[in-house]
Amino acid sequence: MKRKLDLPLTITLSVLALFVFIPLLSAFEFSIRTPIKGGYGWDHYLWAIREDEFFYYIIRSIWLAAITVLITLIVLVPTMTWLQLSKSTIRPFIDGLSLLPLVIPVVAFAVGAQISFPEFVKDTVLELPFLYFVLALPYAYRTLDIGLNSIPLKTLTEAARSAGANWWRTIITVIIPVIKTAVVGTVAITFALSIGEYTLTVLLHWDTFPTWITFVADESILGAVALSMMSLVIPFLVLTVLTLVAPERSTQGRK
Amino acid sequence: MTPNVIEGGAPTRGRASLTSFLKNVAPALPLLAIIGFFFLFPISRLIYVSFMSNENTFTLDNFRTTMQEPYRSGFINSIKIGVLSAAIAALPGAVAAYFIETRGPVKLRRTISVMSGVLANTGGVPLAFMFYAALGIQGQLTKVLKFFGWDIYAGQFSLGTFLGLLIVYLYFQLPLMVIVFSPAIIALRREWSEAARNLGATQLNYWIKIGIPLLFPSFIASFLLLFASGFSAYATANALTVGNIALTPMQIGALLDGNVSAAQLNLGKALGVVMIVISAFAVIPYLAIQRRSARWQKR
Repeated sequence: MKRKLDLPLTITLSVLALFVFIPLLSAFEFSIRTPIKGGYGWDHYLWAIREDEFFYYIIRSIWLAAITVLITLIVLVPTMTWLQLSKSTIRPFIDGLSLLPLVIPVVAFAVGAQISFPEFVKDTVLELPFLYFVLALPYAYRTLDIGLNSIPLKTLTEAARSAGANWWRTIITVIIPVIKTAVVGTVAITFALSIGEYTLTVLLHWDTFPTWITFVADESILGAVALSMMSLVIPFLVLTVLTLVAPERSTQGRK
Repeated sequence: MTPNVIEGGAPTRGRASLTSFLKNVAPALPLLAIIGFFFLFPISRLIYVSFMSNENTFTLDNFRTTMQEPYRSGFINSIKIGVLSAAIAALPGAVAAYFIETRGPVKLRRTISVMSGVLANTGGVPLAFMFYAALGIQGQLTKVLKFFGWDIYAGQFSLGTFLGLLIVYLYFQLPLMVIVFSPAIIALRREWSEAARNLGATQLNYWIKIGIPLLFPSFIASFLLLFASGFSAYATANALTVGNIALTPMQIGALLDGNVSAAQLNLGKALGVVMIVISAFAVIPYLAIQRRSARWQKR
């Protein structure tokens, strides 16, 4: 614990705070105005929550994000762990492929998606988690890669193997607990991106919580501002909980 | 120049046995299948269709039209807003990342990284509301500035103008800079600055000879990524402008929704392909620099 006030850090944080919080708090002040009664109140929040669609869309957005996370956990995490452990020759290829979505502007991707998929894919909202997965892939991949690199995965595996554990036992009792930290970061990024995705969703004519806010704006501006506040606060809370719950590995890097 | 050139499969030296194929490739097949169907397929199809005329014959006309008005100004404005928003956000973002990563306690660094993650993803209507509330005609900051004698609405300013849009874009560009530049800062080792000091270097010497040369490539890389992000932003522009500024993502969106009809059915696809090419000019160098600096960033 340093007693002395760190001047450069304090200045940086103050400037950042002004930049971040002036628009945020202005919008918040707006959202609790009650023009008819005068003064302030939670009226617009209550109005928004009482709308029939509110829970429908919020739940829909959450489960779409959850499926995206599930795809990441079932497909990406095992594949990357395998790539890290095996000396597969296709690793550089998959490396490049996973970063490629970064090159494609989402609008262009949306046009491609709209003209490509067969009806049975287009007709189900389940196409979205797979597309969100692609959008999040470069970030998820990099986070997981850095995480896996900071763990002596190979050494641990060899140790477990030479101590007599079989493959399954090694995976369940050694690998999974160790990569947990790396996985949490990946889950956080994928979740945040999926739950807030707007461009692709709206261009493919699907409705989720973010696109619903735009729709509500036509009906009640202040209600939509209230919803916007929620759309910022909810992912922030979820992610904070997720990253704070994740245990800090004492062996990791500097500090 | 299309980015989805695939380096032809695994090396086929001799007839690799099935088992070695299974060992080498099979576990990656589910991932490859998803990337193939949900990413490579739509992008390839987009590129293919962009060369099709209304009668489904090969043509370059779609691309010719993308270089004419209003699409020409669309590209110019999009590139301009990408470059300017990246240029303005890069240095403050880098400095902020430096102080936070080198001087901040763990809890603070974590909170900031979560906040940056959320803020870099804000956009669209929520972001537009925040800025209407702060810098709109009745906005809080507008009132404060007016009180101090600066009426920002005295001239032509509004949030729907190019300048307004630029200010709003900074709100997600700055956190993005903090996110993409932080890894380079974390990789700067304290031993290096200590070693420099032991050899008699001043703080300034250290920065000129070691710090800046080491960080510069990552700085440029981050700038390029920010450019790509500003260049292709759709949601925010959609919420703030009413077609008064020509921007390529908006033009594509309008063509896709059929709000605007063009004589060429596949014009929107060609615009998309040109966007990909422009974005590739920024993102591919970004990835290359990242890969290069990853070498010394490893420990």
